[in-house]
Amino acid sequence: MSKRFLQRNLAMVSAAAASFLVAAHANAWTLKEAAAPYSGTTIHAIFLDRPGYAAAEKLIPQFEKETGITIKWDVVPYESTRQKEVLNFVSGGAQDIVLVDVVWIGEFASNKWLVPIKKFTDDPKLADPALNLKGFFPILLDSFGTWDKVTYGLPFDNYSGLMFYNKCMLKDAGFSEPPKTWDDLLNVYAPKLTNASKNQYAFALQSRRGETQSADSFMRMLWPNGGSLLDAKFKSNLMSPQSQAGLEYRQKLMKYMPPGIVDFDHAEAVNALAQGQVAMITEWSAFYPTLTDSSKSKLGDCLGIATEPRGPAGLKPALGGFSLAVNAKSNAKKQAAAWLFIQWITSEQMAKPYLEAGGVPARTAVYQDPAVQQKYPFVKPMVESWQGGVPDYRPRFPEWPAISEIIGEWGTKMMLGNVSVKEGAQTIGSKMEAILKKAGYYDGKKPLLK
Amino acid sequence: MSLSLFGLLTIGAAPRSRHARAQRRRATIWHGIALLVIFLSSVFPFYWMVTTSLKRQADALAYPPLWRFSPTLSHYTDALFKHDVAGSLINSLIVASSTTVLAILLGTPAAYALARYEFRGKRDLWFWFISNRMVSPVVLAVPFFLIATKLDLIDTHIVLILLYLTFSLPIVVWICTDQFRNVPVELDEAARLDGASPWRVFWRINLPLAMPGIVVSAIFAFIFSWNDLLYALVLTRDNAATSPVAATNYMSGYELPWGEIMATGTLIVLPMVIFALLVSGRLVQGLTMGAVK
Amino acid sequence: MRSGTVSHGAQAAAARKRVRLKFWPRSPAFWFLFPAVAALAVIGIYPLLVALYNSVHQYRLADLEAGTPFVGLDNYLATFGDATFWQALGRTMLFLCMTLPIEIAVGLFAALMLHRPGLPWMRAAARVGLVVPMATTYAVVGLIGRLIFNRQFGVANYLLSFLGVQPLDWLGDPTLAYVSVMIMDVWQWTPFCALILLAGLTMVPKEAEEAARLETRKRLTILWHIERPYLLPGLTAILILRSADMLKMFDAVYTMTRGGPGAATEFISVYIERIGFRLFDQGLASAQAMLLLVLTIVLSRLYIRYIYREIA
Repeated sequence: MSKRFLQRNLAMVSAAAASFLVAAHANAWTLKEAAAPYSGTTIHAIFLDRPGYAAAEKLIPQFEKETGITIKWDVVPYESTRQKEVLNFVSGGAQDIVLVDVVWIGEFASNKWLVPIKKFTDDPKLADPALNLKGFFPILLDSFGTWDKVTYGLPFDNYSGLMFYNKCMLKDAGFSEPPKTWDDLLNVYAPKLTNASKNQYAFALQSRRGETQSADSFMRMLWPNGGSLLDAKFKSNLMSPQSQAGLEYRQKLMKYMPPGIVDFDHAEAVNALAQGQVAMITEWSAFYPTLTDSSKSKLGDCLGIATEPRGPAGLKPALGGFSLAVNAKSNAKKQAAAWLFIQWITSEQMAKPYLEAGGVPARTAVYQDPAVQQKYPFVKPMVESWQGGVPDYRPRFPEWPAISEIIGEWGTKMMLGNVSVKEGAQTIGSKMEAILKKAGYYDGKKPLLK
Repeated sequence: MSLSLFGLLTIGAAPRSRHARAQRRRATIWHGIALLVIFLSSVFPFYWMVTTSLKRQADALAYPPLWRFSPTLSHYTDALFKHDVAGSLINSLIVASSTTVLAILLGTPAAYALARYEFRGKRDLWFWFISNRMVSPVVLAVPFFLIATKLDLIDTHIVLILLYLTFSLPIVVWICTDQFRNVPVELDEAARLDGASPWRVFWRINLPLAMPGIVVSAIFAFIFSWNDLLYALVLTRDNAATSPVAATNYMSGYELPWGEIMATGTLIVLPMVIFALLVSGRLVQGLTMGAVK
Repeated sequence: MRSGTVSHGAQAAAARKRVRLKFWPRSPAFWFLFPAVAALAVIGIYPLLVALYNSVHQYRLADLEAGTPFVGLDNYLATFGDATFWQALGRTMLFLCMTLPIEIAVGLFAALMLHRPGLPWMRAAARVGLVVPMATTYAVVGLIGRLIFNRQFGVANYLLSFLGVQPLDWLGDPTLAYVSVMIMDVWQWTPFCALILLAGLTMVPKEAEEAARLETRKRLTILWHIERPYLLPGLTAILILRSADMLKMFDAVYTMTRGGPGAATEFISVYIERIGFRLFDQGLASAQAMLLLVLTIVLSRLYIRYIYREIA
């Protein structure tokens, strides 16, 4: 071999080796390194007293150890969460990780209280290459964390409406499987499953005044029938034949539901199934642990889980959940630290531990494992629900809280029979349009986003 | 029956005959029954709360209601340690006692002045005290929150102690003003003639005689501070959270862990009951003192 | 011991004089009052002024981009024209008129029972028992109400079943929900009335009572002539405080019914909380609160004028 040959090859090999090393080093983003400048920072979060948050709390020590960032959280009642967060935004209270309910994203984003994640995903020091936004269920990322095509938060606490039913009660009435359509439920199943003298009813629909009435009771009846709350121009669509059919359906269902159903909240509906009073409920997936806990439920093996019944417009189950976002008012250091946590807890790598700790991650990959599907019977129907579904099941614009209050009042009045379905729908429609008009949706001041 | 009720309503005159004695005994029985009814109706919902806190969830929601069940203390341990109700109780204790003591220290002299002295605008001043309680907390919470944030007093005990003065001080002033009014002025005058300073008159003569009222007002001041929810929710975080805040943290919007909630409720009521037991002795003392002959 | 008829003798025994002193910074009255007044002024006045300021501005927390312009009386006018506000207020005033008399009557009875000599242990037990309802956190009271009045498994229906009554839909029927809230309020606040009236009763001079006892055996006469003057201040305090509190009543109702079903238990404070903390319209909510403040002051002045009597 000539010396020149060796020299040239050596040079090439060294160059190759060097570039390989550089590339390898560039790919070795680690949480520890990324968090090094923020070690010693304390960030604040607001959590709820729900299993998903308890799961996060179990995993937080692991994060703290690896990064040196301390996380402090306040557990707050759901009804006061938005209030506390808004007060913090407005007065500079200490909060860095923002909990965003699906219906608050419009309000928080349009007030510029949240930081678009682009700020962090564009920063190679903070962005985990394995973030893989496409690995989230699209409906969840869209619905919980995105507003006006900008993503602010990553889905953290995720729910789907599911049908939980009492297999044994259905079997006794001659049914070997749950109803596939709402029509079947009303006309075929309900009469056979209702026996008022024995205090047994076919169905319980949680309808208490408040977000329960708007989200669980009212909206649930509109979508599967092809109806909706608003039309394309953001005017009320409640008088359309499909929406009216949906609401009338609910009235017809009343006679197969326990008396006092208008006051049933989630706890009461779940309990009615758990105690054997009703045969079927459509509730949030998060109630699976309660229904399988023998100290709270008498169901045992009689519990069955399925997707919600379909309507003429297909499978349009209830959608709800929370994303975690970064407070725009926090200083840069805290923002970065908050981002690192949010990215970590919703990552693919943490999805399985999160699931095992009691949470419900939003990553598609973790649910493809057959072992997971077997261990958690709610996974299959939930995944199916998330693959269809309506991202704006509830409008997420800032005016929703006001509209929800109106639906809460008049929706319950409809169910009580104080007003007819037509009158109630008209009242809700006109009040809603008044709010939207004032906000500027009809004269072009505000873009039609929901 | 009506005869016995009449007996109940008599003031207990000395029995003059066997008939009167028998009537008196019957009156006492009715008195006892009335007291029993008062006791039971006050305590029944509390009893229900305690038994629910000892039942497992499935038992708590069973129908017909279970009067016999196997009790469990798990809700109490969960509440005290997992949800840090123990910490919140200590916070509540600190805040409520401090504000009550402060209210008594500031309020009793003020009440005495309002009772004894005449001056222009007295009526209005007296009314102004109580008007502090008349504004809806919803609209005062935001200003308080903004001030507290600026002064960096969020999540401290002191901010609640000071804020609660706006309800405890008026109660003390109001109840004690009437109590002081009922203490005979002759005593004051006699003491002044003996050369006592106004402070001594207040401290030595009026204060002890007005004790039953002061005790009642202390109980109320303590209770109102103990039970406030809205301001505590808005102004505290995890350090200074008081017990009502801890009780409502369970309201996650989905589940209602009845056992833990009722356990927390029971734990919150107990200190109050103990406090009342401790001071009700003073109440009795006042009863037997009566007025001066 | 004085002798004479009931009215003259007893009232003479109950007579009190006033001490008149000029009020100026040197006088002891000033120093007795100063700490309390100063404390309340510092803590209480500033937020009140802020609320007043907010009521004449547009101040929406969730929409601060729109600024906080001065809007004069717009918020007040909006409130006057708001049917829901008046309905909620009407509901609350009705509640007041029905619940307060019950609380006072039952409270008076309890106070008399506790004042009557005899049975010391039972009286002590009853006195301590009375503290329990007041000491229960309002939000927990609402939850206990939900448990007790639940149609399915509530103990209220269970007890009624012994009387042969069919299970009532306490929380799902608008009227019954209203009644359930009344029951819980009576349970929680009657002890307050009882204790205040008891404090008044303890100040009745023993010699007056004994003199009266020698005159007549009629309990009601004694009550009316001797004890009433001592009860009136307490009664006024109860009326004023309870009226103010009912206009602020929120936690118990909210946890029990959320203001529903329909709008059956939407009391004025539930409505203001919606405006102030859900719609975050602090300007409007402040205007509403100011109107309520005026109402409470007017009511209180009326109570004082017609009911309160200083012991002459």
